[in-house]
Amino acid sequence: MADEVPFEFLHMELVAHIHNTSTKEENDTCIAKLESLGYRVGLSLIERFTKDCSRFKDELDMMKFICKDFWNLVYKKQIDNLRTNHQGVYVLQDNKFRFLTQLSNGKQYMEAAPKYLAFPCGLIRGALCSLGINCIVTAEVSAMPACKFQIQIQRL
Amino acid sequence: MSRQAARTGDPRKVNGELFTLTYGALVAQLMKDYENDDEVNKQLEKMGYNIGVRIIEDFLARANSGRCNDFRDVADVISKVAFKMYLGITPVVSNWSPAGDEFSLLLENNPLTDFVELPEGHDSLNYSNILCGVLKGALEMIQMDVDVKFVQDHLKGDNITEVRLKFIKRLEDAVPVGED
Amino acid sequence: MTVYDFYLFDRNGNCLYYAEWNRRKQPGISKDEEFKLMYGMIFSIKSFINRISPKDVQDGFLNFRTSKYKLHFYETPSGLKLVMNTDLNVGNVRDVLQHVFSSLYVEHVVKNPLTELGETITSELFRSKMDEYVRGLPFFAPKAS
Repeated sequence: MADEVPFEFLHMELVAHIHNTSTKEENDTCIAKLESLGYRVGLSLIERFTKDCSRFKDELDMMKFICKDFWNLVYKKQIDNLRTNHQGVYVLQDNKFRFLTQLSNGKQYMEAAPKYLAFPCGLIRGALCSLGINCIVTAEVSAMPACKFQIQIQRL
Repeated sequence: MSRQAARTGDPRKVNGELFTLTYGALVAQLMKDYENDDEVNKQLEKMGYNIGVRIIEDFLARANSGRCNDFRDVADVISKVAFKMYLGITPVVSNWSPAGDEFSLLLENNPLTDFVELPEGHDSLNYSNILCGVLKGALEMIQMDVDVKFVQDHLKGDNITEVRLKFIKRLEDAVPVGED
Repeated sequence: MTVYDFYLFDRNGNCLYYAEWNRRKQPGISKDEEFKLMYGMIFSIKSFINRISPKDVQDGFLNFRTSKYKLHFYETPSGLKLVMNTDLNVGNVRDVLQHVFSSLYVEHVVKNPLTELGETITSELFRSKMDEYVRGLPFFAPKAS
């Protein structure tokens, strides 16, 4: 299979379905559901795609892997900017995030953006989890189609 | 082999896995949300329909397939162009009815069901039912009312996966108010 | 040379989108009324042309001209109808209308989950892409400065 269009439409329908089957007040539940679906997909995807995590020399190396290889596979581009405070927080900035490029070029539809970011957040969390990193992933948008994903490592 | 290549494998293949896994997660979610398999089938078909009415426009924009003169042309384009483009497979068109209004798509391998095993007690689940909806929705947009259903499914132990399409009628453009 | 206006209808005759550029004279009726008349005329011309054609119709209705303007028409197999009015010096714009469909409508309307198909297009992104594209056409020619 070669084409990314079916995945885009499937994701669109997935978001619509999860939201249509719940009432308005349950918005947070929808986001959580989508996030956990993304998590499961991210987890198995990475399991298939790199079984050997000894290839990664450290946490930063894994982040670079997410920004380049993983992003390329899922979204056909790389993350534009990666920052870290060296204390377990990483910020990945995508200036043209694929699930937002068709939506808007600015503030229109801003309230709908979180719906389309929950699954991607879960994908990252699942991917990192299968590499042995526990984390919390959140997304932030100030003007579409740019988007920032924040990864907070959970150390035990 | 470079480190990069060793890690990622074939990107086209993994992209397909992304789709397959996402679809699997969706079906699992529906099975949690709904009591019975029939309801899950119905939901999958509905979601497929919504995808179909949109994906057809993408298809028309990208595939320069020309106009279809009859249902046989339609069958050919579905199999050789559309399935090829979106799922990377070319189902065999076969089992034509004598009147030429019914045919089957035979899928030797169905990318939706890679890594899938049906759990016990879900005999009436049509795991890939989304495909029926997509085909129905897409064909409706090009003025064809078609009935689409699974008649055999590899997942249920059949030798092959078979989708049956039956032409019902041509849909006409809406006539504007005040004309006939 | 220039472009006057553009209409996009779905197969049920709903006007999904309208934009104008160098249209100097308004018809003096409501926009809704104008859309209805435009769709009605397109519909009739189309069926009339197909009916009287001495040979099997290939592309059907492509355009017509008056002494003042030229109306171009393109329909997709899904029944989406694109109409563009230009001045008389503009040649065949089939490629232009095809581009509007495949690169603007499909990318920014069909693939935008927040637009319901068959409803008026409110996406600002589509509006701005459309405007940018039309203004960039070689025959758009900005007003004489």
